[in-house]
Amino acid sequence: MTFSGEFLAFMSLALVAVIGGVLLLNLTKVVHMVVALVFTFVSIAGIYILLSAEFVAAVQILIYSGAITIIMLFGIMLTRHNDSSEPKTGRLRKLLLFLGVLGFAFAVYIGIYNLDIEQTPSDLHVNNTEQIGIELYSKYIIPFELTSVLLLAVLVGAIVLAKRDDEKEAEKE
Amino acid sequence: MSAVPIQAYLALALILFCIGLYGALTKRNTVIVLISIELMLNAVNINLVAFSKFGVAPSITGQVFALFAIAVAAAEAAVGLAILIALYRNRKTINMDEMDTMKH
Amino acid sequence: MMENAWIIPLFPLLSFLFLILFGKRLKEASAFIGILLTLASLVYSLLVLFERLTAPTYKAEGVWLTIGDVQLTAGFEVNQLNALMLVIVSLVSFLVHTYSKGYMNGDDRFPVFYAYLGLFTFAMLGLVISPNLLQTYFFWELVGLGSFLLIGFYFYKEEAKAAAKKAFIMTRIGDVGLLIGMILLFWQVGSFEYDEIFAAAEAGSISAAMITLTAILIFVGAIGKSGQFPLHTWLPDAMEGPTPVSALIHAATMVAAGVYLVAALFPLFTASETALMTVAVIGAFTAIFAASIGLVQKDIKRVLAYSTVSQLGYMMLALGSAGYVAGVFHLMTHAFFKALLFLAAGSVIHAVHTQNIEHMGGLWKKLRLTGPLFLIGTLAISGVPLFSGFFSKDEILIAAWAHGNTVLFWLAVIAAFFTAFYMFRLFFMVFAGEARSDMKNVHESPSVMTMPMVVLGVLAVVAGYVNTPWFGTFLGDWLVEGNHSLGHGHIEGPAWIMAVATIVSLLGIFLAWLMYGKRSLSRDWLTSRAPLTYNLLYNKYYIDEFYQLTVVNGAKFFSAFLRFLEVFLIEGIVNGAAGIASSLGKLGSKFQNGQIQTYGTAAFVGLAILVVIYAVTGGYLK
Repeated sequence: MTFSGEFLAFMSLALVAVIGGVLLLNLTKVVHMVVALVFTFVSIAGIYILLSAEFVAAVQILIYSGAITIIMLFGIMLTRHNDSSEPKTGRLRKLLLFLGVLGFAFAVYIGIYNLDIEQTPSDLHVNNTEQIGIELYSKYIIPFELTSVLLLAVLVGAIVLAKRDDEKEAEKE
Repeated sequence: MSAVPIQAYLALALILFCIGLYGALTKRNTVIVLISIELMLNAVNINLVAFSKFGVAPSITGQVFALFAIAVAAAEAAVGLAILIALYRNRKTINMDEMDTMKH
Repeated sequence: MMENAWIIPLFPLLSFLFLILFGKRLKEASAFIGILLTLASLVYSLLVLFERLTAPTYKAEGVWLTIGDVQLTAGFEVNQLNALMLVIVSLVSFLVHTYSKGYMNGDDRFPVFYAYLGLFTFAMLGLVISPNLLQTYFFWELVGLGSFLLIGFYFYKEEAKAAAKKAFIMTRIGDVGLLIGMILLFWQVGSFEYDEIFAAAEAGSISAAMITLTAILIFVGAIGKSGQFPLHTWLPDAMEGPTPVSALIHAATMVAAGVYLVAALFPLFTASETALMTVAVIGAFTAIFAASIGLVQKDIKRVLAYSTVSQLGYMMLALGSAGYVAGVFHLMTHAFFKALLFLAAGSVIHAVHTQNIEHMGGLWKKLRLTGPLFLIGTLAISGVPLFSGFFSKDEILIAAWAHGNTVLFWLAVIAAFFTAFYMFRLFFMVFAGEARSDMKNVHESPSVMTMPMVVLGVLAVVAGYVNTPWFGTFLGDWLVEGNHSLGHGHIEGPAWIMAVATIVSLLGIFLAWLMYGKRSLSRDWLTSRAPLTYNLLYNKYYIDEFYQLTVVNGAKFFSAFLRFLEVFLIEGIVNGAAGIASSLGKLGSKFQNGQIQTYGTAAFVGLAILVVIYAVTGGYLK
């Protein structure tokens, strides 16, 4: 392992991502948590670039750092939230969960550590977006179309759910 | 080939996944829980993309799959927030520990 | 007539059923039903007796239960003893029914009283015609129930309640003995039939030790029922019941059931010298023991009760001395004169409304009929010549002497002296001298009460003449006829025994007269010299207190111990088990708090554990 530029880039990106995650857990204000997570999402986009997936990285930044973070912030603002009120959940549960997560991480890490895959050269970085486009519109056309249906359904569903039910509200009042 | 082995990417994904999991199961605020779930999905995407490059048979399919996952995650986030807002309107709270109607 | 002797017990049963159902409507008229139906029993019993005088024993049985090869039978038997008992029981019962018409007059539960009397009479009559032990045992317990109900008739009185319970429990102790003896006999013989038991005992197919054991166990039942030492304490307490009941049950019939049982199983007892000896010793001891207590009691009914215990001891002594005839003879005469005494005592109580003899006195002039009748009874029980008690007691003394029990013989003589003394003490205290408390409205009882007493008075005088050394031993010969195992109809004894008995009883009477009649001897003459003895006797040898201290407290302590076990050990285990289950449940329900995160945690922790186990062990691939 050499201290190549790629390695340095990976290490710094990974560090920022993990710090973002840890801040998510430890910050007290909800808005801060969301902002902390934006760093993680952006770092992950950088990781994608390292993995020669420029298009996915772009999508990551657009969707996660942009759209999802923003609607989450909207969600926070639209609801009343009492900040810095964490400690109510049972300590025993947290401890159990922490141990469980540790055990899980340990077990999966054993798997990762023992992973031995021969590295084969790939040409993913060449015209990445074009490759994805060809695949998406030829081989994966049906899932692609289904995704559009899903998004439509979500659009309608989200509106129906979030819409104020005027008649019922009126009845109540 | 590459200075960074696949194990490093997988380990990073694992760490993020665990953080997301822990957050999803401990945080009281429902928005944060949703975000934690997004984090877990991101960890999975890292895996997909990493395997698409360093897998036994490298191919673009992994990246395409990651795209689909992102689309579905976005949809999930939208619906989740819609539910959250409907719930908030009815219960006047978004605290997880006050949503205990399942025991009834 | 004998073929239908089974009808006899059914009359009182009918009376019981009828009165229990319709008594409330009949009110005072219930007495007539009871009286008429017992009269029917009496008439039928007399007819059966007269037929039995000449005809042989009649026995009818049907199979009741078949268990494997063993057949349990039910039926009835009319032998000499049974026929005699039938008449005694139905006669006394009839007279008591009649007497109660006057005595119980005005009582709220008048019909109930007659119903109970009917039940008891039914049970007693059924008892005396039973041909086997099992049937006897049924009626034996039924008699106990009747006794319990009648002692506790005034159940609103604490003493009556306690006495009823005591009677039931004390006799129960004896009944356990009887039951065990019965079961042992059945085990050995394979039958409850008297005849088969006797045959087996005679043929020697039962070991001698077993005969002794069973006989003594059965005698334990008789001890309980007949108030023999050491289970005698219930009988004096049973005097809390109405006086006619005392006369019927606790003097004439039920307490004689123990004697009857020993007499009915007499061949079994004769097969074991030890058993006979036990019977004789217990009987003689009880006779003198109870008589000595009777010397100082102040309650008229208690004096009579102790005299009953003492006289029953006499009968046991007779049977234990192989004097079958003497025992049964005394049973008969005693039934008459003791019933007479009790009814007369009831008449006195009816007149003066107290039972304490210290408050009586001078009643001779006021109760012109009761007084002489009481005197007749007293003379009879004291063994004054020409009265019935004289002959039967004489028979017993002769039997005891002839059997060689010299010590027991002299004990019986002393007991006879005591008997004469305390009975005449009672008589003088009640009837002689001046009234010791002011008693108004003392009047003779109505004729419905005096007539039965007159009948009994006549019988108390003449009943003895059926078996005398002078005019022939008719009863004795008849009783043992055709059954050699019962011994001789008459046991010849030296003539001086009769003289001794007479002298002793006259001495007792004379002493009582000196002390209580003429008062030339101070009443404290003896008590002041031996106050300890007096206290001992007055407190009935502290037997009750002794039982209270040992048996009752022992049982209480034991039950407290068991309760302790129950509360702390058994309940502890049970509650512990329940507590573990319920706390586990509570713990489980804590997880069901409806929060998705908790469920998720549980699910994930479970998954993590599985994953870790697989990672460490390598799963099944290893």
